[in-house]
Amino acid sequence: MSNKNVAIAGISTSRVTKNFETSIKDLSFKIVKEALANAQIPKEDVDGFFVTNPGMAGHPYCMLACDLADYLQLETKSLALMETGGTSSFTALHFALDEILSGRTKVNLVLGIDSRAKEVIDDFKSFITDGIMTQTSLYGSYKGPYGIGAPIPYYAMSTQRYLYEQKLTEEDLAEVSVRLRENASRNPRALYQKPISVEEVMASPYLSPPIKLLDCSPFASGAAACVLVSPEVAKDLKEEPIYITGIGEHHHPSHFIPLKDSLTESIAIREAGAEAFASAGIKPADVDVAEVYGVFSGTELMILEDLDFFKKGKAALAFKEGKTALDGEVAVDPSGGRLSLGHPPSATPMMELVEIVEQLRGEAGERQVKNARVGLVHAEHGMLNGSIVLILEKK
Amino acid sequence: MKEIIDQVSLRAIEQYGDSFTQEYYRRLKERTFCTTRCQECGEMWYPPKPFCPKCYCEKVAWVELSGKGKLYAFTQQERSLRFSKPDVIGLVELDEDIGRILTRIEAKFEELEIGMEMKVSFIDISNELTLHQFVPVK
Ligand SMILES: [Zn+2]
Repeated sequence: MSNKNVAIAGISTSRVTKNFETSIKDLSFKIVKEALANAQIPKEDVDGFFVTNPGMAGHPYCMLACDLADYLQLETKSLALMETGGTSSFTALHFALDEILSGRTKVNLVLGIDSRAKEVIDDFKSFITDGIMTQTSLYGSYKGPYGIGAPIPYYAMSTQRYLYEQKLTEEDLAEVSVRLRENASRNPRALYQKPISVEEVMASPYLSPPIKLLDCSPFASGAAACVLVSPEVAKDLKEEPIYITGIGEHHHPSHFIPLKDSLTESIAIREAGAEAFASAGIKPADVDVAEVYGVFSGTELMILEDLDFFKKGKAALAFKEGKTALDGEVAVDPSGGRLSLGHPPSATPMMELVEIVEQLRGEAGERQVKNARVGLVHAEHGMLNGSIVLILEKK
Repeated sequence: MKEIIDQVSLRAIEQYGDSFTQEYYRRLKERTFCTTRCQECGEMWYPPKPFCPKCYCEKVAWVELSGKGKLYAFTQQERSLRFSKPDVIGLVELDEDIGRILTRIEAKFEELEIGMEMKVSFIDISNELTLHQFVPVK
């Protein structure tokens, strides 16, 4: 069976918040109920349920999928908690897609949830003891002892190399933040909606040079879900669904800093992108609207280049010239992107997917990209070490 | 706070590392900067491992590194968990051509440039922990 006929029947997302206002269970119920209502599918039809770990800076949750299935009273043929850092919710989605293609399940619910903002804000000491201590796999026994408590310095060095190799400036990066904020100003769900200028970005304090505060995605919480259905179920839907026509996934054997390979060109994104485009039978130029997992302004540019939307080193100019604007060659991050929408990693790819589905349905309101028919959604983990790319189409 | 960070570091070394991690840190304490080399295919790998990642052979031997290399990238952590500001960290590409290692840079951020020649030195964090750091070769 071709994956071209697996459909997204329903979507739902929370707002992105700086604090986690409800419990994981309350929010899961709300998002799941809304996604099923959006699909107009009763809960009894769900036969697969896939969830993410609720955030990376908190306690590990054992058996959360089992507990949530009990709480939500979902009886399924397939159930799993998926964890691969930033790609988690798409690892879950990829598995759900394969379960449908295998014929085992027909209606799969995929939920990405991230409560990281709450646990960190509590106090710094408990962040260190409960947060950092339980995530030694993030920084490890050879990097952790240097006091690395967030991946920002890694991305800073990648960005430094990018500016050095491509002869770009910090002002070029600032332009990205400005353009993404412009998109966010039309998105009521975005964490930051007030327009900013290049001067304001340049005047924001350094977190880890060359990365400044306004080059960085804000630490946030949120949840989003989608309902994937088999081709037979899709035929009987009341509304015409959006189809997943291509998917690509690749993982380079590195975690954050590759030992020898480039810090500015991601093999994982190149491979995942090429696989996704080939399986959908389209080219990058065919994409009308894209949401990418760029958590820093420089990273955003590298991702767009590695997806082949622009030549290496040329994405900054594309931003400046409006080629990535809502009416540009390819509308990039109409949601405001990670920098302005906000970034709850375990839910981020699912929020990107929700934005693209709304764009393809023509439901994006003030930020609607005209005649959007082909969309791309991208997720990554580590520092672009692994990547999943989806192509979504309206038929 | 320093005590907590020290505890976290030791726990990362003891519980999350492999059977060679503690030996690597013991050697750093003796001021030798080492890694492992495969006795079958000759592949040298950083950080050290009890096996060869290339051929999965378990016959590996400790070798001392020259401690010389070039600065590949660097930044300054504004909110470091370990060192007070200025806390410059960087990636040094070792002369042995085994890739880039993350390390502390003992120099002012403003004085650094990509490609600078660097050499290893050592910094005692506590009685239990010594780390490598790199300084520019003048
Ligand atoms: Zn070998």
